[in-house]
Amino acid sequence: MVTDLNTALWNTIAMFLTFCIFSFLYKDNPFYKIAEHIVVGVSAGYFAVILYWNGLVPKLWDPVFKQGKWYYLIPGILGVMMWTRFSKKYSWISRLSIAFYMGIATGVAVPLYVQNYVIRQLSSTMLPVHFQNTTGIFNLLIIIGVLCALIYFFFSKEHKGAMGSAAKVGIWTLMVGFGAGFGVTVMGRVSLLIDRVIFLRNYFDSFFTWFIKYIL
Amino acid sequence: MELVGTEQCSVPTDKKMKRHLLCKICVLIFLLIFLFAIDSFAQGTETQSTSWFNKDRLNVLLFLVLFFAFVLFFINQAKKGKSLFVRKIPGLDAVEEAVGRATEMGKPILYISGIEDMDNIQTVASMIILGNVAKMVATYDIPLLVPICRPFVVPVAEESVRQGYMSAGRPDAYKKDNIRYISDEQFAYTAGVNGIMLRERPAANLMFGSFYAESLVMAETGFSTGAIQVAGTANIHQLPFFVVACDYTLIGEELFAASAYLSREPKLLGSLKGSDLAKLVIIIILVIGVILETFGVTRFTKWFFVQ
Amino acid sequence: MNFYERLMQLDRRWVYLGVAIAVTIPVLFPFKVPVYVTPEAKSVYDFVENTKPGEIIFLAIDYDPNAMAELHPMAKAIMRQCFSKGIKLLISALSQNGPGMAEQLISEISKEYNKKNGVDYVYLGYKPYFAIVMLAMGQNFRIPFPTDYYGNPLDSLPMMDGVRNYDDVKCVISIVAGNIADYWINYANGRYKVKVALGVTGVMSADYYPFLQSGQIFGLLGGLKGASEYERLTKQEGVATEGMSIQTVAHLVIIGFIVIGNIGFFMSKKNKVKR
Repeated sequence: MVTDLNTALWNTIAMFLTFCIFSFLYKDNPFYKIAEHIVVGVSAGYFAVILYWNGLVPKLWDPVFKQGKWYYLIPGILGVMMWTRFSKKYSWISRLSIAFYMGIATGVAVPLYVQNYVIRQLSSTMLPVHFQNTTGIFNLLIIIGVLCALIYFFFSKEHKGAMGSAAKVGIWTLMVGFGAGFGVTVMGRVSLLIDRVIFLRNYFDSFFTWFIKYIL
Repeated sequence: MELVGTEQCSVPTDKKMKRHLLCKICVLIFLLIFLFAIDSFAQGTETQSTSWFNKDRLNVLLFLVLFFAFVLFFINQAKKGKSLFVRKIPGLDAVEEAVGRATEMGKPILYISGIEDMDNIQTVASMIILGNVAKMVATYDIPLLVPICRPFVVPVAEESVRQGYMSAGRPDAYKKDNIRYISDEQFAYTAGVNGIMLRERPAANLMFGSFYAESLVMAETGFSTGAIQVAGTANIHQLPFFVVACDYTLIGEELFAASAYLSREPKLLGSLKGSDLAKLVIIIILVIGVILETFGVTRFTKWFFVQ
Repeated sequence: MNFYERLMQLDRRWVYLGVAIAVTIPVLFPFKVPVYVTPEAKSVYDFVENTKPGEIIFLAIDYDPNAMAELHPMAKAIMRQCFSKGIKLLISALSQNGPGMAEQLISEISKEYNKKNGVDYVYLGYKPYFAIVMLAMGQNFRIPFPTDYYGNPLDSLPMMDGVRNYDDVKCVISIVAGNIADYWINYANGRYKVKVALGVTGVMSADYYPFLQSGQIFGLLGGLKGASEYERLTKQEGVATEGMSIQTVAHLVIIGFIVIGNIGFFMSKKNKVKR
């Protein structure tokens, strides 16, 4: 990790910023604020550069000025029209670009979302129910969970009687799902912490080894 | 900016309405067929033959046409003035209880509308709920604090609250300064909201809208101050955090149902009823499919399997 | 204030300290825990194992440095498996802050196996608006990516000879943190019918099991655990495997806190009722 002065410098900065962020756990403080602002600033700056060299130049500048494809100016103008949003007087112009973009996005997305999130999920939920093995029982659980959760989100009838009981089963199903989501979230956050602690261990290990060699 | 929930609808004649509806459905079907045609024409690789209509996706087309028909029908019914039943959302009772508690304690109510801009449908729903909360709060003369994350949302929030106070007959009680823009930055906004919670010690925190990682931070801080908390979001990843830290949570679609229930706006009500009917159709199809699958008949399921 | 009420009022910084110690001690004194492989991780491994040398897999490295902790180990494991089998990789990085990080990763792993850019792998880089990029790649990779990350025209690269679109790759394996995964399922699999497998962060993993069950994705690697399973399958123990023992201890400590908290909650509630 730390093999020379260059890597020693950058890894030391990374170590310092890691501790700055961790200091928030005790109390909000200027070190945390510095680290947070560095992250926000670097991400914004990096993204601006990436967008320029990977978006604007190959998709607008080069086609128009190097390849003579003048029709690329049409979407370019639509993009510039979006900036009129910042003007009170001319913000209505941005609505044309937004409408064009939203129209295409909706037209492409809606059928695909219905296909993949509704129809495909519906067909895969139509499972055979039997008690010959655990698969049949799990299928039954899936079907009951899906039906009851759908009933819970039914707003046209009061949740009374059989419907009320089904809605209760539905909310319990949702809560089990939320519990699973909570658990994997905790796992994910702990993983991030583990990575940082392993980084710090490797840093101190390699830094002191290099430092002693450097001094000697 | 015209607010959702305050739209005034005229009541045209029956014949005109039917013609309008028929026109809309025809245009919709034409557009859908055109879209699918374009889609089928553009889809696939150059080595495959292209066709104007993709028969494999007939089930998707039928579902879409049916769903749009349901929604348009109920919007039409709502515009005619017909009463459309929507069950009471239990979370709204919790909001009333929160307002009552704040009145007893003489402490303010904090309303957080999420961190997204007005182009997010959850923020729109939140503004409708805010208007109704403002109406409740105006009657009891307790402060309503509304910290905002996006500049665009500020005038909308101001208008919602002002209208709420006016409909309660208390325009004099409206304080514009209580609706404050904090910051666009996610955690700078969170820090600001936490500061308000710790200083002002509101009796109730109402969090409706689109939230991300800051949801647990805010809910935890609110919990530590002893406030009653009611939250609602359609961001699934944040729901577990609200469920554990808040007294009541509106889950997913309940947020939109609450805004339709409170505003009684025809488009919102119509969409809600339309989607309810679509859910009923899905439930029926699912039950039929399961029964047929159990008896070994797989043709029905295969029709829904998009190739 | 009795013991249980004091327990409920416990400063959260003690919990932070507890978790910090629970993570630090296994890092300093490592030990091993058995890693059990799930069927969803095995399907990804088996698919890559059954891919013939010379065939192409599309590897989408769609995450930012903030998700590196969980996703880098699985990306490394998959890349190593592919390179060791002679499978060619077509790589993209559709997350806005990820292209530089992906390039670092590719350089590191390709050097280990002496793989050449343009012959054994092609790195396409980043283009904005991933949904449009995915749709365009279904027609031809050259539409969104006329050149690779280094500026070489795709037609000049030997590996890209005869490779047009998703039909010419065996599958798409997307290592992703964020909603880009939904678009791979919708557009790549839903529209262009290419096989898709996902490697996602722990937070997202629970959301994608319905798609695994419906067959819209053929495999799923979830978080650091998924990465450790893949490392076990490829017999390359790395950071993910090391992390499992630390994760076990941390989880036990967190479970302990949850149990203590619940005991405190119910006992203090009981005492309040008694009073």
